[in-house]
Amino acid sequence: MRRRAFLKGFAATATASAAGPLIVTDRTIAQTRTIFVNTWGGSWTAAEEAAFFKPFTEATGIRVRTVAPVSYAKLKAQVQSGSYEWDVTAITQADLLRADREGLVEPIDWSIVRKDKLFPNAVYANGLAYCALGTNLAYRKDKFPQGGPKTWADFWDVKKFPGTRSMLNNSVRAAQFALVADGVPPDKVFPMDVDRAFKKLDQIKPHIKVWWTQGNQSQQLLRDGEVDMMVMWNARASELQQQGLPVELVWHGATITTTMWGIAKGAPNRKLAWEFLQFAVQPKPQADFANRLYYGPTNPEAFKFVSADVARQLPTYAENAKVAIKPDTAWEAEHTATIQERFTQWLAA
Amino acid sequence: MAGGLSPAAALRPEAAVRGARRNATAWLLIAPSCLALVLLFVVPIAYVLLLSVTDPRLSLAHYQRIVTVPVYTRVMVNTFVTSLIVTALCLVIGYPLAYVMTRRAGLVSTLLLTIVAMSFWTGFLVRTYAWLVILGSKGPVAAAYGALGLGKAPQLLFSTFSSTLGMTHILLPYMVLALYAAMRKIDTNHLKAAASLGARPAAAFREVFLPLSLPGVVNGSLLVFVSCLGFFVTPVLLGTPRDMMISQLINQQIEELLAFGFASAVAVVLLVATCAVLAIYNHYAGLDRLWG
Repeated sequence: MRRRAFLKGFAATATASAAGPLIVTDRTIAQTRTIFVNTWGGSWTAAEEAAFFKPFTEATGIRVRTVAPVSYAKLKAQVQSGSYEWDVTAITQADLLRADREGLVEPIDWSIVRKDKLFPNAVYANGLAYCALGTNLAYRKDKFPQGGPKTWADFWDVKKFPGTRSMLNNSVRAAQFALVADGVPPDKVFPMDVDRAFKKLDQIKPHIKVWWTQGNQSQQLLRDGEVDMMVMWNARASELQQQGLPVELVWHGATITTTMWGIAKGAPNRKLAWEFLQFAVQPKPQADFANRLYYGPTNPEAFKFVSADVARQLPTYAENAKVAIKPDTAWEAEHTATIQERFTQWLAA
Repeated sequence: MAGGLSPAAALRPEAAVRGARRNATAWLLIAPSCLALVLLFVVPIAYVLLLSVTDPRLSLAHYQRIVTVPVYTRVMVNTFVTSLIVTALCLVIGYPLAYVMTRRAGLVSTLLLTIVAMSFWTGFLVRTYAWLVILGSKGPVAAAYGALGLGKAPQLLFSTFSSTLGMTHILLPYMVLALYAAMRKIDTNHLKAAASLGARPAAAFREVFLPLSLPGVVNGSLLVFVSCLGFFVTPVLLGTPRDMMISQLINQQIEELLAFGFASAVAVVLLVATCAVLAIYNHYAGLDRLWG
């Protein structure tokens, strides 16, 4: 942030002239005690406010400001230019891995983060696990009185399950579902047979009414009855259920991706940011977030604070995770670009 | 006129000095705007150009990829064809509208102008979502189909049709306002003169009004065409993946694939193509006419 850079410079000159040997350190900057968080905005940020930001400010006095939406491009631009708009970002695991490899994120500050307070698998690519998001098959129960699709094979079966369909415009997800539909067991999807996936995708392509790109858009499609079955993010489907819509969510063959917390390399408030991360991955805040938004806590202890009814709808609930696709973030990060190019070409053909 | 030495001034030294001083003042006055232009436009564009040949390493590989991988040329061609179609549609719909607005005095004109302006001021995202409702399977179009006993309405949404319709609707006000501005300047006495010389209304329109309104046609078309080249959200929400426009491609490359270099190269190609269109326009019509 320009202004902060300016303040820093100003403070440096002021202290240098007034107090001589006093040097402006990161701690001096920290006295403003505000961190800036890049996040997705909307209902996501509303849930974060209640579960993470407010309790954190109450506990530490450190204020949290948010910037939306999440942008990897901005992370890169910030680090390259050295002018920061935010310190912390919510980020998908695959993006974090790429960011870490490109040197765009801070290494974990073990003088602040306490290892004994973390759960297994909390640390990945210099970030801390935030929550888990399911990408599922969802359908309108009222359109299938005899019972709806239960697997991706059913989704592909347009004769047995007639109805309008929609998929998420995301190459890797689409290819994963195609493989499961073609008979690959969910725990054997990786490494992906991309040719096989595209062959299977060819079959469903004419039946996909719309390839959606935004969460709101996906909800509107199902709510308005524009489509009968679709690929959907689990919390979005749960939200529709809460609104009283007859929506069913299928966990078999769903993908579960982990969202992470990461800190931009060289971010001015990184010390405070690590304090925040340490706070945010604790059981209570994670549970509070899951209770509001239905994305799964990554800290297993958090389930203590979640009702059984909510727990069943979460991606990290043992029964759900068991039948979902076993992810391989490293493989995905490495191959996304080539699969994406092929997918774009395939869609446009 | 900006203070260059005229032969007359050269003959009179004191005038030359005054001219030079005026010249310096003029430069000083436009310096802030020049600086803003350089900082806000020239530098970023130069940076994009630089990125396109240096990220991740110094090469022309990105440009080679644009011309060799079919999908990119396809998207590029589609962007231009779509923009042409939208421009033509805006012109066909907008011309009669602007004509009525100019030729009819009073209530009709005010009413039409208000409607166009209101549409102009409504956010394009709102207008795009409105089409989702109107053309949706539970929307008024489908309902009208059912009420008329025509059976099930055809699939309107998520097609090239709905995408083109949405973009035309969003860009129509630009066309209408450009045409309206040009038509308002036409002296109605010209038409009366034509009539007094025996021209029927159709002939007067063809021989007098139409040629005089041409600058508006060119301006409006250019505005719509260039704006359409950069369209992004509407084709995503209303169209099919086949209707992908170049901005979507750039966005995808940056946000999903972090391919800053390749995205920059695509942006440069778009910029060059747009400049080419402007150059052709400038050659035939003169860019300065755009503003009045």
